[in-house]
Amino acid sequence: MANGAQTTAGAEITVRGLEKKFGQLKAVDDLSLDIPSGEFLALLGPSGSGKSTVLMMLAGFEVPTAGAITIDGRDCTRLTPQKRNIGMVFQHYSLFPHLSVIDNVAFPLKMRGASRADRRRRAAEALEVVRLEGYGDRMPSQLSGGQRQRVALARAIVYQPRLLLMDEPLSALDKNLREEMQLEIKRLHSELGVTVVFVTHDQGEALTMADRVAILRGGRIQQISAARELYERPANLFSAGFIGEMNMIPAQWDGSGLMLAQGDRLAPPEAALIGAVPSGVATLAIRPERLRVSAPDAPGALAATLEEVVYAGAGTLLIARLADGTEIRARVPSAGLPRLAEGERIGLTFDPDALLVYGEAAA
Amino acid sequence: MSGKLTPGRLMLMAYVYLVLIFVLAPIVVILPMAFSEPDYLTFPPEGFTFKWFGAFFGNARWMDASVFSLKIAVLTSIVTVVVGTMATYALMRGAGRLGTLFQGLLIAPIVVPHIALAVALYLFFRQTGLSGTVTGYVMAHAIIAMPFVVFTVAAALSSVDATLEDAAMSCGASRFDAFRLVTLPLILPNVLSGALFAFILSFDEPVISFFLAGIRDKTLPRMMFDNIEQNLTPVIPAIAVLLTGVSILVLVCAAVLRRMAQSRSIPAEEG
Repeated sequence: MANGAQTTAGAEITVRGLEKKFGQLKAVDDLSLDIPSGEFLALLGPSGSGKSTVLMMLAGFEVPTAGAITIDGRDCTRLTPQKRNIGMVFQHYSLFPHLSVIDNVAFPLKMRGASRADRRRRAAEALEVVRLEGYGDRMPSQLSGGQRQRVALARAIVYQPRLLLMDEPLSALDKNLREEMQLEIKRLHSELGVTVVFVTHDQGEALTMADRVAILRGGRIQQISAARELYERPANLFSAGFIGEMNMIPAQWDGSGLMLAQGDRLAPPEAALIGAVPSGVATLAIRPERLRVSAPDAPGALAATLEEVVYAGAGTLLIARLADGTEIRARVPSAGLPRLAEGERIGLTFDPDALLVYGEAAA
Repeated sequence: MSGKLTPGRLMLMAYVYLVLIFVLAPIVVILPMAFSEPDYLTFPPEGFTFKWFGAFFGNARWMDASVFSLKIAVLTSIVTVVVGTMATYALMRGAGRLGTLFQGLLIAPIVVPHIALAVALYLFFRQTGLSGTVTGYVMAHAIIAMPFVVFTVAAALSSVDATLEDAAMSCGASRFDAFRLVTLPLILPNVLSGALFAFILSFDEPVISFFLAGIRDKTLPRMMFDNIEQNLTPVIPAIAVLLTGVSILVLVCAAVLRRMAQSRSIPAEEG
């Protein structure tokens, strides 16, 4: 491995009560967060959720209206960007168009007063790390989008920062390139040991790349947890609906069982309850891939009317409707699936551990 | 446009050529007179000589006026470009609410008749003792040239991504270094072409110079005025030839700079 990829311990970040107001609008609202050294954290949310504003405050381009940011024990809340020693990758790469690739990568070293020979050597090493050796003398305009993003990465890691910030760095790339770069960035993260905060609105990207994912809405963190927990036990209905597909069926919880509008009574296990579920209006959530097709009168099956069958090779998507009008989707393996006609009555069965029950307050 | 010669198209072409002739004819008429033998203006010219150029370069008063004009033009272009670039940067990248107002003020001289500006400056400079001084000339010419610098620099700045400076700062550059090392090199061709425009505007400027001229120091256009009033010799067309040459040279330089700027900018988005 090249010397440019020396492992450096990642920065440890503490965010307390962070707030950013633009006029009357609170873009970030009382947000607290601990990022341990070397973690890859994704900030995931729809546009306007405040995820980019959080990143800009970490980078120093926005000054918080309240709260504190500590990086490695040092208060950085009001520190200017150039004093934070952070590597940053921007959405549109932001390469300097008048400088060659090697000069772009060497720019941070120049700002740090490194000698010319040292700059060239370390920039060449960083280019090697992103697999662009030999591209140093080209101009950014001569590179493809993926190559430009690699140069931006090399520029961000060349001075071995302990923290790397990325603002939707892959959103301008096409799908294949994006998947390749996801793996590339993950590889870099594990090679360098740097702490990474990655902003994205692409849930697949967040789940694939990050150690932990923080879901933001309205400037607040909805849930922060590892990818698997996020998918399998979303903390509330927003997270449940935001990550992946989720069937949400209105129901009544009576303290021990769940009554669906069409009359079924279910007794979910204790583990299915997310947080405190008071008696009254509740929501039953179940992932489409956890449903199986059975006869409509099979024991424990939910009876539904099939509306659409979408064959997609390995899997088939079934769209059905419960008696009360709730749409329910099932993703089942195509192999072994009986011939189903639209309008047919079917049953949908599930394992008890596929159920999630949310109380009224968990919206 | 390789269409047929429709009547409309013919009329348009006729119109365009008429305008061109109208604009260029005086220059075409005056230039040959510079090479005419007799010591009065004649058209068509008689004979062929370079003696009027010699008369210009050999005359200390013409030379003094030329050097004085050159000095003012160089200073004007420096002042205009420094102030104009800073102002345009502030207008386009700053968050001030008064931006529109200041932009209006900066480009207003383009709509105010120069004669009105000249009278106002004359009254102002007479009271402040700036009349006839280099400082006075440079200030007055900078006001006239400012809109051209603001326009060319604004055009360049609007095509430079503002996040490039953020990127530079995230790399450890100070705000000033981010401007100096990233934005400035990218807008430099336009800044220089703005400087050239300011230079030529100042060097050729007759109206304000007419009002501001002192007894001793006169600009070249002012000297030409005086000379026309006293004795109209072919030295005037000779100077016209030289000034036209300088203008063409400057315009060519500006065009080359702009070509450079275009080839440098990278297409923003592509796979």
